[in-house]
Amino acid sequence: MRNWRWISALAVLVFVLAACGTQTGATPSATGDTEESEPAATGEAPEETDGGTGEPVAGGTLVFAGARLAASLDPSQTSDGESFRILQQVYEPLVDLAPGSTNELVGVLAESWEGGPEDTEYVFNLRQGVTFHDGTPFNAEAVKINFDRWQNFAEEFQANAYYYGAVMNGFGEGNLIESVEATDEFTVTITLTQASPTFLFAITLPTFAIVSPAVLEATSADDPAASTFGTDVSAGGTGPFTLDSYTPEEEATLVRNEDYWGTPALLDRVIIRPIADPSARLQALQGDNPSVQGIDLVSPVDYETVEGEEGLVLVERLSFNSLYLGLNPTAAETEGNPLAELAVREAVEYAIDKEALIEPFYGGRGAVADIFLPPSSGWYEAVVAGVEPRGFDPDRARELLAEAGFDESNPAEVGFWFPTEVTRPYMPDPAGLHQAVTQMLEDVGFVVVPNSDIWDSPGYLEDGQNGLYDLHFLGWTGDYDDPSNWYGVHFGFDAEGAPAAQFGCDTEGLNEAIEAAESELDETARGDAWAEVANLIHGDVCFITLVHGDTALAFTENVQGYNANPTGSETFSTVWLTDGGE
Amino acid sequence: MGKFILRRILLLIPILLALSLLIFLFIRLLPGDPAGAILGERATPENIERVRAALGLDRPLHEQYFEYLGGLLRGDLGQSFLTRRDVVDDFLQRFPATIELTVAALIFALAVGIPLGMITAKRRGSWVDQLGTVVSLVGISIPIFFLGLMLKYVFAIELGILPDSGRIDFVEHNIPRVTRFMTVDALIAGELGGFVDALRHLILPGIALGTIPLAIIMRITRASVVDVLNEDYVRTANAKGLPGSIVDRRHVLRNALLPVVTVIGLQTGLLLGGAILTETIFGWGGVGTWIYDAVRTSDYQVIQSGVLLLAFIFVLVNLLVDVSYAFLNPRIRYS
Repeated sequence: MRNWRWISALAVLVFVLAACGTQTGATPSATGDTEESEPAATGEAPEETDGGTGEPVAGGTLVFAGARLAASLDPSQTSDGESFRILQQVYEPLVDLAPGSTNELVGVLAESWEGGPEDTEYVFNLRQGVTFHDGTPFNAEAVKINFDRWQNFAEEFQANAYYYGAVMNGFGEGNLIESVEATDEFTVTITLTQASPTFLFAITLPTFAIVSPAVLEATSADDPAASTFGTDVSAGGTGPFTLDSYTPEEEATLVRNEDYWGTPALLDRVIIRPIADPSARLQALQGDNPSVQGIDLVSPVDYETVEGEEGLVLVERLSFNSLYLGLNPTAAETEGNPLAELAVREAVEYAIDKEALIEPFYGGRGAVADIFLPPSSGWYEAVVAGVEPRGFDPDRARELLAEAGFDESNPAEVGFWFPTEVTRPYMPDPAGLHQAVTQMLEDVGFVVVPNSDIWDSPGYLEDGQNGLYDLHFLGWTGDYDDPSNWYGVHFGFDAEGAPAAQFGCDTEGLNEAIEAAESELDETARGDAWAEVANLIHGDVCFITLVHGDTALAFTENVQGYNANPTGSETFSTVWLTDGGE
Repeated sequence: MGKFILRRILLLIPILLALSLLIFLFIRLLPGDPAGAILGERATPENIERVRAALGLDRPLHEQYFEYLGGLLRGDLGQSFLTRRDVVDDFLQRFPATIELTVAALIFALAVGIPLGMITAKRRGSWVDQLGTVVSLVGISIPIFFLGLMLKYVFAIELGILPDSGRIDFVEHNIPRVTRFMTVDALIAGELGGFVDALRHLILPGIALGTIPLAIIMRITRASVVDVLNEDYVRTANAKGLPGSIVDRRHVLRNALLPVVTVIGLQTGLLLGGAILTETIFGWGGVGTWIYDAVRTSDYQVIQSGVLLLAFIFVLVNLLVDVSYAFLNPRIRYS
């Protein structure tokens, strides 16, 4: 809603001022007010779906609507799901996630590789006979040029190169990349400054796709003032589709790459259109002659509509996210915070009926979050083994509160924050969720002081992370499948040994446990180490994981073969139309 | 006349300067910032600092403004934070779509509004007039997004006779963008089918966007015609036996249109603003969608320069309206 307030306010300002200069005199007017639920997020969440029925038929055009087109056509400058949707059809990384999997790696431009979590040296044996869409042959030199380009980004490009900066510890010399060498025509050796268990998973992100060196040069890709690589259509990829045309705010047209090195795409063309409004997106799919055959990010309130409508299919994408309730006993704004008592924190968790949140807020699609990692994670089983979930038990909550010395005459009073003017896949309706959870807490005897702030920084996010909120909603969408991207990012201690300000979670042994888990390179031991971290955090109730919210796509029933992936790593190359587009 | 136009054009300079400062400050006073929008949940203090520095947002406000102003004076409206594209290029690329939609809305508003205003004025007090009042009241009050979704539901989904969104059927028509006016480009490409399809795509958003101006134009026309009908010269014309249609056309409408022209000018400016909503609902790739996205991602450079460009056009349209006065009514002479 804030967007519309902005736009309205700006419109008023402009027209009032503009009118001052006209003799005719204008009446100020504002644009209207509308509902807007913005489900787009980075690295969208997700799942495995119908593989299709019958024999795949080649041919035809699929028109698909997302919320937006790409932020940039330069993969390295993107970090959101809408951009990835387009770019990962055109560009390919060295290794990728297997279809539908969050943790199984398959070679793409690299046929095989040596090196694992415990190594600092990775040797990639590249696929031979691959050419970029512009005809440039793919080889080791091309890989080196791309890695070097990212590492030496001008400052102007660093702002939007989020993933490179985050995964490689910044830019320039001294980051994670020690060297990238083309050892021979089809072998690349990448040396890291230290072993990184997440390196291979991170480079599956479309951000790390390899671009034709000839195209990079022709488009002055590294000159902040002259680069056209991020904005103009180019033939720099190796993927199953080529980008044929791109009109911002209107369409991206992908055409089958007839010279693809692997299994060619089935569809002749994919046209991706942006429709920002979720209701408008669904409308485009409805009717006898829909203008699109597939949409992403169906609003949870519309799941029933889609399922009840003949000719439409809802495709669920399992969650790769988690909504949590942060508890911060050290929140700067409270004194004598009851959350300082473990019994009170436990009472909060026992008071919340997580299951009851899924139907009304997630359209019934989601899972109770026993731990931070979603069940779609390859680490789920290992980590969940370390945690004993507290079920919904309001009586136990009341007992604990009483034990802690709180009763009706002296109730436990907690501030409870939620963000406004935002929706995320894990948090479709922050105010509604806040209301529901408040009710549950009050039922067991808490007195809840409701608070809210605007999502964008400075605001909710910054204040939350700076530790100003006692009870607060927040969540996370995973970037790649590793527990460090979940527990490590949130609970890691700083260099001085202080716990993350957001939770003030100074549990004994936690710092050491996280450090041990981060540096553990053996897979089984790493799982156990993160289970221990989870155990400490959940035992001390530093936060309460609530729900893993699924998202969903919808297609007309003639569309087959779309494999939703929790990480959003999804290709159109396996998609086909039962009528072959006739 | 020439002097008047010159004076008005010179007056634009201080107006645009003041606008640029106000928009600049306004955007920064509101909560939210680009670093937060880019980073989302990952907005740790360190990340925010890094991104703000890269975007130049860590420098003092006056420095940022003077750099922006310096750019403006050189005709450089800056680059989008997100796409690193020139804002002017982006604007020009999308503006034709918005003009096309605005023109469609205006044609709808005029073609329906003026005759309706005329009819209700001539039969004032009758049921036709009452109905007209109700229609215009509804037209003014109805929120665009609601009307847009309803129109789509009825005509695109239930009846299936008009497309629900977009500017053309990309599957059927692959038209090279020359002018970026879809209808014109279709004609240039010699695709009559594409032209018709582009027109069909204009109908629903045109109606959604044109409804408010229609209602306003109808009311102004009605009031104005009622005034003119009472004039002596109209009575004289009728008395000397001129056919009613000629009286209406030459004497009534021509004189009654003056205030209507003013309103048309103002409405054109407002239509550009209203296009933001309509474009979002109809997946229309114009300036509106562009600014909407920029607001969502706090892309300051796009918001401030895009809004400034829109304001500039608004002022320009009003200048044209003022100038057209002189031609429509010889009694008004500017000196």
